[in-house]
Amino acid sequence: MTDLDPQIQTPTRLRLMTMLTAVSEVEFAALRDGLAVSDSVLSKHVTALNAGGYVRSRKGVHRGRRTTWVALTSHGRRALRDHVAALREIIAVVPPQ
Amino acid sequence: MCLDSQRELPGRVADAEARRTSLADQVVVPRLFFVSIGAAVAFQIATTAVGLAGAGRAPIWLLASGLVLFVAVSAAQLARFRQLNGVWLGGLLSRVVGGTATAASVSYAGALGGATWAAFVGAWWLVPVAAIAGGAAYALSGQRWMRRYRADPAAHSRGESAAWLLVLAILALTFLVLLVAQR
Repeated sequence: MTDLDPQIQTPTRLRLMTMLTAVSEVEFAALRDGLAVSDSVLSKHVTALNAGGYVRSRKGVHRGRRTTWVALTSHGRRALRDHVAALREIIAVVPPQ
Repeated sequence: MCLDSQRELPGRVADAEARRTSLADQVVVPRLFFVSIGAAVAFQIATTAVGLAGAGRAPIWLLASGLVLFVAVSAAQLARFRQLNGVWLGGLLSRVVGGTATAASVSYAGALGGATWAAFVGAWWLVPVAAIAGGAAYALSGQRWMRRYRADPAAHSRGESAAWLLVLAILALTFLVLLVAQR
């Protein structure tokens, strides 16, 4: 059985990384709105995932203002795939309530 | 992980996937995106066919004008897409604009070949017909990709790598230069 990745354990990080699979790159505010979290919460998660090599972020411009663009790395994509596979294995053996 | 937490897992995965679907559903293309790309491709096919068949009498700018217009329209539309959505899709660049989707590349090659042949044999009326057909097929292929993307965003969001696209662009330009040199 594949191990769960502790970096993607929290629901917000799982949502964040899953959303990133839908795009090549996304602007900070679009990601924040999609996750329905505050700037500071998203910033904290992006910083942690960036440090782990799961995502990469770069400064850029969007609609004339400075912003951050976030993308999933190859390592992050593999980690998410393995993590979700591990989750599905657990789900498959959990007895119904 | 305790049993209660484990029972929450299906909901967590479903929620994450729902947000991904929601993000993909919110992605919209700018107005006239596919029409403008298709029209630029049609113009490029026509100018290339006429430029090649015109041999030494056709000015080189005629050949270049189609390419320049296509690049300009594509760049403007992709910039509008990025500004409108706050996202970037590699698949849109390579599959839709770059025409690496099978339907787009096959129809483009067929239309360019047909238009060039028509120009060489003097069937000038057939040149715009082939060019428009090629442009329309290119645009329809783009719309098809968009539907596929919305159905499975994770599978279609990324296109070919930038290095591979560069190789394709260099090969296409080399092919065109060789054709021009044969004039």
